[in-house]
Amino acid sequence: MDDLTREFLIESQEGLDRMERCLTELESKPSDMGLLADIFRTVHTIKGTTGFLGFKRLEKLAHSGENLLGLLRDGKLAADGSVITGLLQLQDGLRSILRSIETEASEGEDTDAALIARLEELQAPAMAAQHGRGRSGHVAGPAVMDPAPAAAENRAPTSAESAATPGPEAAVAPESAIAPASLTAKQEKEPGTDAGKARSVPAGAAAESTLRVDVTLLNRMMNLVGELVLTRNQVLQATSGQPNLTMLSRRLDMVTSDLRESVMKARMQPVSNIFSKMPRIVRDLSQSLGKRVRLQMEGQETELDKSLLEAIKDPLTHAVRNSLDHGIEDPDTRDRAGKDPEGLLKLRAVQEGSHVIIEVADDGAGIAVEKVRVKAIERGLITKERAERLLERELLQLLFLPGFSTAAAVTNVSGRGVGMDVVRTNVEKIGGKVEIDSKPGKGTTLRLRIPLTLAIIPALIVRSVEQSFAVPQGALSELVHIPPEQAASAIEWMEGAPLYRLRGKLLPLVFLDRLLMPDVEHRQVTEQDKFIAVLNADGRQFGLVVDGLADPEEIVVKPLSAVLKSIGLYSGATVLGNADLALILDPGAIAVKAGVTISSEEQGRQSGEEETGEQAGKSLEYLLVEAAERKSAVPLGDVLRIEQLKVSRIEYIGYRPVLNFEGHLLPVEDSGGVLAAVQHDPEAQIIVVVCREGNRHVGIAVSHVLDVASGGDLFEAGTGKQAAGVTLLKNSVTGVVDLGAVAPLPVGEQATSEWDQMTEAAR
Amino acid sequence: MSVAGNDLSRRGKTAETRVEMCSVRVGQGLYGVPITYILEIVGKARPQPVPLAPGFVGGLVHYRGDVLTTVSLRQLLGMPPKDGPQDILVLENAGGAMGLLVDSVGEVLTASSLEYEPNPSILDERRRALFAGAYKLKDSLLVMLDPEKLDPMRLSGSVAA
Repeated sequence: MDDLTREFLIESQEGLDRMERCLTELESKPSDMGLLADIFRTVHTIKGTTGFLGFKRLEKLAHSGENLLGLLRDGKLAADGSVITGLLQLQDGLRSILRSIETEASEGEDTDAALIARLEELQAPAMAAQHGRGRSGHVAGPAVMDPAPAAAENRAPTSAESAATPGPEAAVAPESAIAPASLTAKQEKEPGTDAGKARSVPAGAAAESTLRVDVTLLNRMMNLVGELVLTRNQVLQATSGQPNLTMLSRRLDMVTSDLRESVMKARMQPVSNIFSKMPRIVRDLSQSLGKRVRLQMEGQETELDKSLLEAIKDPLTHAVRNSLDHGIEDPDTRDRAGKDPEGLLKLRAVQEGSHVIIEVADDGAGIAVEKVRVKAIERGLITKERAERLLERELLQLLFLPGFSTAAAVTNVSGRGVGMDVVRTNVEKIGGKVEIDSKPGKGTTLRLRIPLTLAIIPALIVRSVEQSFAVPQGALSELVHIPPEQAASAIEWMEGAPLYRLRGKLLPLVFLDRLLMPDVEHRQVTEQDKFIAVLNADGRQFGLVVDGLADPEEIVVKPLSAVLKSIGLYSGATVLGNADLALILDPGAIAVKAGVTISSEEQGRQSGEEETGEQAGKSLEYLLVEAAERKSAVPLGDVLRIEQLKVSRIEYIGYRPVLNFEGHLLPVEDSGGVLAAVQHDPEAQIIVVVCREGNRHVGIAVSHVLDVASGGDLFEAGTGKQAAGVTLLKNSVTGVVDLGAVAPLPVGEQATSEWDQMTEAAR
Repeated sequence: MSVAGNDLSRRGKTAETRVEMCSVRVGQGLYGVPITYILEIVGKARPQPVPLAPGFVGGLVHYRGDVLTTVSLRQLLGMPPKDGPQDILVLENAGGAMGLLVDSVGEVLTASSLEYEPNPSILDERRRALFAGAYKLKDSLLVMLDPEKLDPMRLSGSVAA
């Protein structure tokens, strides 16, 4: 059963419950127009929706009921006993069909003719009420009996129990009270049990397995869970040194995580909520643009926090419009290019770790990179020299600059230059990222990376002006440590503007203490440890200079009062594990406040940096690591983060070392024997380089991380073939760690036996 | 008495009733806050300062899962800041919950509305904006604070102006 039908069933059952209440109430207050209107609405809604879902039998029955109710509502008919009986029968009839849809996904055999006839008969003018009442006895019999056979066979699998227990007296009461006296005892019993079952069967199914909850209540729960997460963080910190509390705090940790996940899940909605709007948009747009487009949607069941779903609606719509307008060509052009005249637009949603990826892919013309280059120079977004040096991927990043549009003509659909930058701004506002990928002639893919939730975010805690501040991890690209003796020399000044040479490129710096305490006279950079958090916000990259770093923490975002929000630097506040309060810094606002702009040079440099390591054929950057006195290289582009931890954190499944990150298992590769070397000392610190390998993450145990360097190509003597698996790093041949060779962890159902074997082996 | 109360508080108009208020001390002064506005009293708190915040903001405190902005009564009255922990009255006004940072919270006093006098005209502008008259106690004056006027958002408007 699809979601639409399920929702319809729930709504209809709720409506029928309400209708039943109203009907019984109507009996005592026959002229209450409000009640009649309510009943009419229920039946009308059912009719309307069934027409849409294609349930013919239900529609027919609801339609005849609606006619009768229309007369009642308009005051052309009085709601006397027989009419109410008829309406209750109608309600039972509708219920039995709904039940059939729910249990068998079909409406069952159409046996409603008598009931419909009865309802039509009731529509006879009110003056014949006496007459109608006289006849109702005859007709009511079969009509009441009517839904029974259909219901009986539909109910077959579940009926044994409910048939054994007769319907509750209360449920029977309205039926039997209204039923004309001429009904036999047998007939009276029939509708009675029928009604009883009608209520009990759906009650046990869809109507009771789901519950509608007020969003404010969910928000409150989220708040409380956030509170619990904070308390847990504090408990974990407080008990870390006490072995007798370890078990308890671990359990608290686990339960809290589970609870948090469950509450978060309750806030989740499938992306189909916004995907479902797309077919209409695509249809309308492709018609108005004279294009033929087929829409294909995948992963609609992927879930996302409700508030985030709202937030990506506009960017997604924009992306779809863009694809249709600029991406997919008109049928003639496609035909000439040897493509299917009908373009394909693919919407795909998939969850990847703590992010949901939403892809908008078209098989259109792709982005003409040369055009982008020309346009960027034309618009003065970038200098000519700079543009000529840019690589394809770097050029694509220019699309996200404000005021950029490659559309030859400005159409009313898009192309006014307020396109991609808006998409990016909106997505980054919720902590997401936008990537674009395009192959000329083949199509363009826009990828939105959206975090699963907003309320709890990972953040780096930094220290400045003797306080803690939280920097959202999403904006953080790397950290640089400047030792005290270098503090004065490493930071260079250009007419009062502090800069740092990050791998040969100048990075503008913002001193957090100077920014926050502008009145205080700051001496020249003092001889103490400085840390530069390289942040990337809204396309602005800068280094935030802070005095100290604390551990990254999962923080619960608390809103700030309006007066503090208006300062503009803080996006919220949070309570840290040590019970300190920390303000959450807004990297974008800091960049603006400090005057960091997206200059063309900077943009080029930044995108250049982002893309380094991913350019095939160009010199890759590597992380130089040392494992058991042997140096090896890890492609920097694949490195997610570097963790320093106690060797005791490494656990084993069988012989395989793994790391448990809050339920996410990371296989650890230890070809260098780092783990084995320190195994006798559980307090020893090791370093695990966490890398991306395809869709999974793998860890590499190393003893030291040495440097970042760009690798040179090496060729086999004689053949001149490019050597694989090695690179030239700092003039010495270094082996590249083959991430692909790290054996995957057994996952999925077929692997459970393997798990068992391994855990067996471990014992 | 030459009291020309042009700033009549609505509390003053409710004649012949007993009014309960919480007394707070800042410096040498005794001030009163109607208890109906008070959610809770948090003792010995150390609010986290907020860099770049307006001067009257006393900092942030963690209060029942929320982060509460506090207003420093010392700052509002133009007194030098005090070191060490201070007490916080958690108030609820139209703008939501907020904290009022005071030197110490005293007892709850009951006064007759007959003892009420509106703000005297010689009061300076800033204080007149905060005070809602005073109750004549046996041996001193209890200056009433108007919680609605302590709302940080309103203060930021009036202090800036």
